[in-house]
Order: sequence, then structure tokens, then C-alpha cells
Amino acid sequence: MKPTNIVKAISAAVLILGLSGLLSAAEKPILLRNGHIITVSGETIPGGDLLIQGTKIVKVGKSLSVPPGAAVIDLNGRWVMPGIIDSHSHIALEGDVNEMGDLITAEVDCKDIINPQDINILYALTGGVTSIHTMHGSANPIGGKGIVLKMRWGKSAADLIFAGAPLTSKWALGENPKQSNSMGMGRARYPKTRMGVEESIRDEFEKAKDYTRTWAEYEKKAKAAKDSKGKLTPPLPPKKDYRLEGVADILSGKLWVRCHAYQSEEMLSIIRLCRDYGVKLVCFEHGLEGYRITNELVKYGVAISTFVDFWAYKWEAYNTMPQAAALSANRGVLVALNSDDAERMRHLFNDAAKTVRFGGATQDEAIRMLTINPAKIMGVDRWVGTIEPGKDADLAVFNRHPLDPFTVCEMTMVDGTVYFDRAKYLEERKKAEEEEKKKKEPEKKNEGEV
Amino acid sequence: MPRRTRFGLFFFSLALIFLACLFLRSEQDLHRVWAIKDARIVTLTGPPIEKCTLVIRDGLIEALGAGIPIPKDAEVIDGAKLTVYPGLMDGLGQALLKLPEEKMDMSRISSGDFTDKDRGITPGLTAFDYVNLGKAVFEKYHRLGFVAGHVMPDRGVFTGRSAFLCFSDPDKNKALLLKDICLGIGFSPSNFMVYPNSLMGVQSYLKQALHDAVYFDQARSRWLKEWQGLTRPDHSPNLEVLADYATARKPVIFLCRNQHDIRRSLGLAAEFKLNSFIADLGGEAFEVIPELKKANARVLCTVAFKAPGSSLYAQRGRTERERAEKEVYPKNPARLAEAGIPFAFSSLGTDDPKAFAEGIQKAIEAGLPKEKAIEALTKTPAVFFGLDRALGTIEPGKIANVVLAEGEVLVKEAKVRYAFVDGKRFELKEVKPGEGEKPTVNVTGKWELAVEGQMGMTLTIDFSQEEAALSGKLVTPFGAFDFTGGMVSGKDVSFEISISVGGQDIDLFFSATVEGDKMRGSVVQGGAGTAEFTAKRIPG
Repeated sequence: MKPTNIVKAISAAVLILGLSGLLSAAEKPILLRNGHIITVSGETIPGGDLLIQGTKIVKVGKSLSVPPGAAVIDLNGRWVMPGIIDSHSHIALEGDVNEMGDLITAEVDCKDIINPQDINILYALTGGVTSIHTMHGSANPIGGKGIVLKMRWGKSAADLIFAGAPLTSKWALGENPKQSNSMGMGRARYPKTRMGVEESIRDEFEKAKDYTRTWAEYEKKAKAAKDSKGKLTPPLPPKKDYRLEGVADILSGKLWVRCHAYQSEEMLSIIRLCRDYGVKLVCFEHGLEGYRITNELVKYGVAISTFVDFWAYKWEAYNTMPQAAALSANRGVLVALNSDDAERMRHLFNDAAKTVRFGGATQDEAIRMLTINPAKIMGVDRWVGTIEPGKDADLAVFNRHPLDPFTVCEMTMVDGTVYFDRAKYLEERKKAEEEEKKKKEPEKKNEGEV
Repeated sequence: MPRRTRFGLFFFSLALIFLACLFLRSEQDLHRVWAIKDARIVTLTGPPIEKCTLVIRDGLIEALGAGIPIPKDAEVIDGAKLTVYPGLMDGLGQALLKLPEEKMDMSRISSGDFTDKDRGITPGLTAFDYVNLGKAVFEKYHRLGFVAGHVMPDRGVFTGRSAFLCFSDPDKNKALLLKDICLGIGFSPSNFMVYPNSLMGVQSYLKQALHDAVYFDQARSRWLKEWQGLTRPDHSPNLEVLADYATARKPVIFLCRNQHDIRRSLGLAAEFKLNSFIADLGGEAFEVIPELKKANARVLCTVAFKAPGSSLYAQRGRTERERAEKEVYPKNPARLAEAGIPFAFSSLGTDDPKAFAEGIQKAIEAGLPKEKAIEALTKTPAVFFGLDRALGTIEPGKIANVVLAEGEVLVKEAKVRYAFVDGKRFELKEVKPGEGEKPTVNVTGKWELAVEGQMGMTLTIDFSQEEAALSGKLVTPFGAFDFTGGMVSGKDVSFEISISVGGQDIDLFFSATVEGDKMRGSVVQGGAGTAEFTAKRIPG
């Protein structure tokens, strides 16, 4: 072979190898082997394998062959479940989560205040949580917009947003919007009754309908003026109103309604209101008395996102019991267990275990309450919530069954990337501590010499 | 002593005082022509000129050059050992502003009878009305080389409008360069009772208000043009002011507490096509460099180097926070310079001119080239605020704002000997270190502190005083916070504590007078105003 050919061959080889190297960096398959796989979509596979390509799960089964170039992670009998989804959270937000200066605040948006450096994102990962719905508080009958995030720790605010997830509108009924427990702080605000809360929503809907009508009329006039070719003066557009645009987005179904409520009567009456206006009411937040109106919840397709054993912190939160979530689920209601709290978020799997032990739910049902059910409520069940081919590789790995009281989350993956690895994390922490110690030692020596 | 002699003495001293006044006048006003001979002059229009003469006449730079003739009417200063710099300028500060003290009247706010001021919406507030100039203040600045500055109210959401002043004359009408240049936009709600009371509320409020201002402007100008067939918009003093800024006829300054505020600001600036500056008060512009570059942003950079509460460093605890404040944040100006992002320095966040100058030195130690630092204090602020034809370099025709130093400026113990501001000479005598009254009290120990008012509360402070230096720990219902850098002077104590509540940083400035085991004073909280407090020593 002539030298030139050799050069050509080598450069071709370099090119091909280089390219394949690039490909493998981005698309290197990962095989998780020999684990108990809680698929949620079907049976749990003991000693199963799971193949990830890029951000997606491509194969789930037993004894999968190792594709060329795949990274193999031996689970050694650990348990894998779909990443936990918390449908009611307030983390990763900067500043107050309640805009309570006005009664209706449909214009405010959690998207504006995402804080990707909130360390609670990392803590969520340590508890196997991979997606959250983070939202406005419950101070207003119609509060601000919420947003669905993936726990891509270290990424920018824009990169945390779960693409394709519907935007939400936070509503609240009962004691919080009527400020029953705020102990006279601030100015007195209408309404002071549950009737008033509902009326304030209805009122705002009428305003938003008027607003939409005004714009439609303007557009008609503007078009007529344009068509008249100068004979008619173009009209002045109406003033844009960000708040009413937010309400109009609820009426058009663009925003999914997540309604904070405790009492069954109130929930029924708000279901009626939403039917009157054709509003997409997806879920009652907390909904502690939801077990009393399961027929209605099932009939109108409204879910509840609730606690297992957290109640009696105020008058309207007394009438519930540890069986509430399980009972509602048995009657066909879509039930999710949520945290509403950065700390509880880290052990939602314990809450699911409690609903089995004290509420009588089946293990499968309890796991669904952490995965596919919240995924449905958040409108992201196409992508997450189960382990099956085609879904996002959002996974939580536990040393024991996730419902075992002694279980520990050891690894959490989002989009096929490991964002939390307990062993590695502990090792790095130990190293950092040792380095810190070393840094301090010479100082001490110097002090001794003095 | 006979009566007559006493009278004589009295008149004699009166005459002395009169003479002293005359002398002062003569030094500053009567001599309007100066020639600085044989100095090294850093013109910033080219390389420094050695053995150069600079002629100042009637407030302006008349001529400069090596060996140019010295006018006969000039008073000559031998500059052989001096370097002449363009006077340094604070790109954005507050030190010369004395805004009225705000007391939160809870009962009024609770009754629903609140004003735009309670909401932090004060676009009409103009800094010029509140500047507080005085020779003593000037001297503090002149010693460090500062001769002019840009001041703006910084409380609330629409904080008010700025003014640019020379530190030349206690009469603000003489000191003023430009007023109502910029409008401040802040992200901190001013009060938790009224809309907007949250960060997300502020963001929405800003969008609506900017939109309303543009709409008002268009509707009004259309009515003024057509007169017929249109309903005129209602007058609004706020919208009238905002209109200029919302339509980019004048610039706004976004007061950013952290990198997220910077991103929000860039978003708003793009959405509403604003003419804007980013005041990087959290010192996190280095985290947003690509976005800043893309937006051709102009930055006003703090040198306080405090990690904001939202930062990961602060969330990871004290050790990590302190490390970052030492190693990461001081590099911010150097990173901006490296990226070619235009920036001026802002004294916001530093307590006094000395801390401001020290902060700039820290930035230089952390890698900011000295000439870039000087540029950020001279040319850049002049260009930013439309003053570059009058200030920023040493050129004939420009305002005579120059400082004469033995050695360099922006070094520890800088020896500025003269400052010429608006052509007026200020001579700066050498002072011995450790000025200030000696402490006559020792407050070391635990004190119980009662803050008055409806939001009143009881706190404990553990002071530790070493001569005039005061440090300690404040215990609050939200945790305990250490502080250092306090001062005791005579019977007066003053100290600053940064507390962090729910991820938000709040700076508290305490000042009080001690009487035995009691003290009485006031605490100023940046946005929320002032509260009185009393404290008593806890025995034991």
C-alpha cells in the first residue's frame, strides 16, 4: 500500500471511530440487569432487565442481550420503579408562592420564578422523585399558573420544564381563600364565606367572557376598517388585561384546573360550576372528604391528590381517615399521593406503604398512586408513570421493595441520565470532608508552633 | 479681665471667623484657574503623558500637554510627584440620597386604605429631590478618588428616577449633571399586605404596568392628533412618568438580586423592547454571560460579593457560603471584562465609600485588570448615562473632574492629594489611621432588644466589643445570625446584620446610643422602612 493510501485509510478509520465515539457519547445504550422491575403497566418482573437508549426505555424483560457498546449496571436484586411523580409541590420556586394582594391572581405564573438552584430538587431525587407539579399557593379562589418540572438537577430553569405538559391554574376553596385562619393580618378581603368564594370565581368568568367579546368586536371593526381602505378610521384596540387573559385561558380549556378543597359539599358545588362553564377541572388538591362523593368524582372524571395521614390541622380538615385514599381508589376515583412539602417529598414511598398498611390498598394500587395516577392528573402519562418501551427512562432504584419500611432510594434517573447515585454521593461527601480536614490541619500546626 | 478687653476678644474672634470664611471662599471660588505642572496624566484617550501640564479654567479642562505655556493668572500646583486621573464615578449608588423614613402604618394598610407608595410603586419619586450633599461627605469620596456619582431610590417595584451629580458643591442645583435619567425597577415586593406581594406577582404586575404605559402613551398621542372620534384616556401621574421608560425613550435600571432576576430582566427588556441596564446587585452576572452577551446588555456591577440567599452556596451552609464569597463572587467583574460585557461599578450593597473602594480592590486582586477597573469607573459610566462628551476622560473642553494622587488610585491606602471637581480644588490633608471618637462604653455581653411597632418582636443580641470594633450574634425566631464590622464611637454603636428568612436576604442596619445598661436607637430595613428599638443588658 502506498503511503498516501495508508494515510487515507487511517484518516477514514479515525473519522469513523471518531463519529461512532460521538454517537456513543450521546446515544450509548444502558442496560440495567438483574433487578425486580415494578413496571406498573403490567406484572412486576423478578430478576428482570431494562434497556435504555438515549432518554427512552426501549426494552423490558428477562435476560436481555447486551447491545454493543452498552453500559451495564448490575442491580444485583434491587428494586426498580417508575420515577415518583409528585403532583402537588411548591419547591423550585423563588419568593412567596402566594400572591395574596388581590383576590383573583390568574395572571401570575410559577414559570416566572423557577429556581433551578433550589437544593430541594436534589433532595427530591434522593427520594426517587423525578417529576413534580409545582404550583401557586391556596390564598386565592383563582390563583396563579402552575408548571410541571422534571428534576434535572443542575440544568437551567428552561431545561427543567416538562415539555408537552399542560399548564395549570390553581384554585382554592374554603378557609384559605376566605382567610379564616390568617389572624387578622392584612386588610379584610371579600369573601368571608364559602358561597362568596364560589361567587368570586363565577364573577371573574363573566368578566373574562366580556373581555373576550370586546376583543372579538374590536377585531371585527379593525378588519372592516382595513377593508374600507382608509374610509373608516381603524379603532383603538382594547387594553390588554393579563389577569382576564389568564381567566379566559381557563374558560378555553388551555389551563387545567387544580382546585384546593377539603369539604365534600364544596367540591360538589365547584364541579357544578365547572360544568356550567365547560371548564376542565382535573383534580381536587387534598380533597380530604373526597371519599364521601366518589360516585360524583368518578362520573365527572375528577381526581384527588391527597395525603395519607395528615389532617386535623384546621377545622375543615377533620373529616377524613387513613382509609380515605384507598377507599376512593376502590370506588374508581383516580387518586394520587402528594407531598405539598419539601420534606415529605423525600419519602412519598413511605406514605404509599401507609395506605397499604392502614388504609387497606393493594400494593399495586399504592404504587400507582405515586406514578401513573399523578402522571394522568398532570397530563404526562404518555411519557412517564410506567416502565414500558417508548416511555421516558425516569426511574427510581431501591435497595428493598419501595413499600418496605426500611427501604432506601439508591439511584434516580431522569431521561436515562443518573441524577442521583447514593453511593457516589456519599463517597464524594466523604472526600470533601477529608479535604476540608486536611486544609485545617496545617493551620493547627502553625498555631502550635506559635 | 476688664470688660473692654473681653469685648475686644469677642470682636477679634468674630473677625477671625470672618477671615476664615473668606479664606475658604478664596480657595474654592475665587481662583478659577489652575495649572498642574509636570504631572503624569492618565488621560484615558491614549497612553499616559509624562511631565505634562494640565490647565483648568472656570470648571473646565482648558488645555493639556507637555510643556504647554502656563497662563499668567493660574495658580500652579507642582505635580512632579503626582499622577492625574479622570475623577472616578459611582455608576449607581444611594449614599448621597436621604429618602424620607417610611414607617409602616399597619392599621391604615389593614383598613384597605393603602397608597401606591405602600405598594412600592413610586415612579414619580425623583432622586434629585432627596440628594443630601455636604462637604464632609464629599471628602470621604474625594479621598478615594470619587468625584461624581449616579444615585437612584431602590425601594419597591418602580423605585423612582435617578440623578447624576458632581461631588462639588453642597448646593445640589450646582452639583447636578442630569436628573431623571433612569427609572429603577426592583423585584422585591415592598409589603406583604398589598398587591403585588410576591415575586411572581411583581413579575406579572410589571408586565401589566409596562403594557399600560405604552397603551396610555399611544392612546394619548392619538387623541392629541385626531381630537375627534376618540375617547381620551384618563390621566395617570404614574403612567405619564412610565410612558417615557416603557417606550424606550429613556432607560430603566433593573435592580437584580441574583442571576434569576437578571434572566427575568432580560426577558422583560426583550418583551417590551426596553432601553435597559442590569444592576447586578447579587454579583451573579457571571452565571448569565451568554444571555447577557446575546442581549448586548450593559451591567452595573456590585462589589459587595455576598452570595444571594437563592444561591446554592448559601443553601449549602455557612462554610460553603463564605468560601464562595471569598473565591467565586469577587471574580464576577473579571469574568464580565473577559467576556467583553460593558460594565460600570455600583456602590449599592457596600456600606460606605471605603467599602466600595475596597470591593473594587478585591475585584482587581481576583483578576480584573486595573485599567478595566478604571474604565468601569470613568469612561463606561459616562457613556452609559449620556455624559461621555462631558466626562470620563481628560480632554480639553470636558468638565474638570480630576484627582491627583501620590502613586496610584484603587490601591490600599491610596494617597489622593487633590480632587478637582467642577474645577474646584479640594485639598486632602493626610489623616492618621484610626480616626473617629474613642469608645466610651463597652457593650460586650447579652442584650435583650425590643423592636417597637405592630410588627414588633423581642430579639437577643450577644455583643463582643474589642476597642471600637463590634461583632456578635443576633438570635431571631428565624434563626441566629452572626455579624462583624460593627463600630462603637463614643456612646454610639452601629452594626449591620444580614439575615436570611425563607431564602430571602434582609439587611438590617442598627444604630443606637448607649446609656449605662440600656440602649435606644433605630433599625433600618432596606425596603420596609425604619423601626425604633430599645435594648437592655441581660445581667450575668
